[in-house]
This record gives sequence, structure tokens and C-alpha cells, in this order.
Amino acid sequence: MDKPHYIRSRWFEDLPVGEFHVFGSYTFSEKEIVEFGRKYAPQVYHTDPDGARDTIYRGLIASGWHICAIWMRMMVDYMERFATGVQDGRRNGAGVGFQDLKWLKPVRPGHTLTFTYEIIAKDERIIRDRWGIIRSRNEAFNQYGELVFSFEIDILAERRPA
Amino acid sequence: MADNGALLTRRAHYMATPQTRYWQDIRPGERFDTQSITISRQDILEFAADFDPQPYHLNAEAAEDSIFGGLCASGWHVTALMMRLLTDTFTGQHIDLLGSNGVSNLRWRKPVFAGDTLSSRITVVDCTAASDDSPFGYINCEVEVDNQSDEQVIALVTSLMIAIDGSATHHG
Repeated sequence: MDKPHYIRSRWFEDLPVGEFHVFGSYTFSEKEIVEFGRKYAPQVYHTDPDGARDTIYRGLIASGWHICAIWMRMMVDYMERFATGVQDGRRNGAGVGFQDLKWLKPVRPGHTLTFTYEIIAKDERIIRDRWGIIRSRNEAFNQYGELVFSFEIDILAERRPA
Repeated sequence: MADNGALLTRRAHYMATPQTRYWQDIRPGERFDTQSITISRQDILEFAADFDPQPYHLNAEAAEDSIFGGLCASGWHVTALMMRLLTDTFTGQHIDLLGSNGVSNLRWRKPVFAGDTLSSRITVVDCTAASDDSPFGYINCEVEVDNQSDEQVIALVTSLMIAIDGSATHHG
């Protein structure tokens, strides 16, 4: 049976520049924002809904690193859904790094972000005889259609064995 | 955040104390050394279950076969721990950190394994004023995180928003 081939199931050579995906949407809750803030970014505007009103943000906002972590979760879930039946998960490689990350607007409790992904470049370098690098531009829009977060990340993808 | 529109009114700094260090007090070349933090296997599994449920962050056997060679922390877990180290250091220095508007570049150089102890070094590269009525200025920083063997695990360049001393100027 022909299965559609999605990112996780394909080799580096088969991933085209210009491919675009919408990972889905995620709503940030006050509880999650506070939990993440207490653990990783203990500032009043991330941990205390009342105290946050007296800051420049005029209320609680999510840590920028929380937005990154949710982006990762959205990507993993998306890739898993579309890689059903693929036994070899090793073709999906690690992140090497990212650039031009921008936190453009505050994300508040109840805000819903929609995450998009586009392949923008393929590096021809071969890493450890096995991996290529896929560069994607990733964006998140809030429920008002405002761009709140963007970055470009380099992720390894396994090259087709010779 | 870079664009808060009307939110960015100058107002009293709620954290201000006689010890407060403002944006004006920080100079390029200043370096901050953070405390250290040790990451447990349980920490790695919990973060991965919430945010990065991939085999090499969740399952030791699958991780053996992966590019990392063993169960390791999500790269985003490492950046979150960097933020904790940085936040605690700035709080300890009485610097009112008002956020960050971005990261121009970040590299994940080495995997972080259970039991690793991480510490960070933050070096101020340049200081840039924001708009005239902004309650903060920017400091652009190189941030490195090392493990207990002095191997660099991540390196990044980030722009931080630091409260300015507004006491000298009054608008209206």
C-alpha cells in the first residue's frame, strides 16, 4: 500500500526546499506559564499573575523559552502523526542550532499560537558521513493573526545510504 | 518584547532598591559567572515527556542507537536551564531583567547527560539604548554553558532588556 511520505519518513535528498507545514495550534494556560516560569525563568511577570500587573507587561506572560519548548512539542507531535508505521525513527536527527530568533509580542494566558514551518535551505555539508542539514523558518501567530515568534533552525536529516 | 506599544510607559521600578544596578551601570566587557545546576535522569525524562517526547530523550535503549549515544536532555531543556542560571545571577546582582527580544544565534555543541553539572558565563558585548521613553535598554550578551568537564554544551548571543535609571528624567 502506498503511504504518503512525510518528513520523518524521508531521506535528506527527498525533502524539498519550499515545503510548508502547519504544525497546529496551542493555547497557553496560566498554570503552565507559572509552572514553567517558576522552574526556569523566575521573574514576577512569569510567575505571579497579580504582581505581573505592576510590570511593563501589565500582566503575566509566557517565558520566551516556554514558547520554544511548545514549538518543539508541536513539531514532534506533528511529525509523529504523519510518520505512523515508520519503524526507523533515527532518520529524524538532532538540532544543530538556530539563528534570528525573535520574541516579538507577549504571549498571555489564554492566547492561542499557530505554528508554521517552511524548509528554506539545504546545506550540502555531510555530517559524520550520514547526515545532512535542513534549515527551516518557523513562525507562530497569535489568535489576532499577529506574528509573535520566529526563528530559523538547522536540524539533521539522514542522507540516503549510498 | 520589542513591541509593546502603549504598555511601555515609564513608571516606577517596582524592584528598585539602593543596590539596584541599572542598564547605565553595565558596560561592554562585563562578565557574569553563574552558579551551577545538576540535571538528573528524572529531570530529563520529565521535560522530554512535556515538551520533546523523542526516543533519545525518553528511552535509554533507543538513545544508545541515536546520534547522541545515550539518553540526553532536550536541547530546549538546556536552554531553559541556561535561563534559570542567568535569571538567578541577575537577580543576585540586583539587575532588573525585563525580558529578551531574541537570540541572534545559538549552537548546541555537546549533548547533556543525566548527572551533568552545568554552569554559564555571560559576557556583555554591547549596550544599546531603546527609544527615548523606553523603561529599558538592551545589552547584547554572549552566553556559554559548560559541563563539569569544561566542555561547552551550548553557546548563544542574546539581547536582554535591562531596566534603566529613569530617576534623572521626568516626562510630563
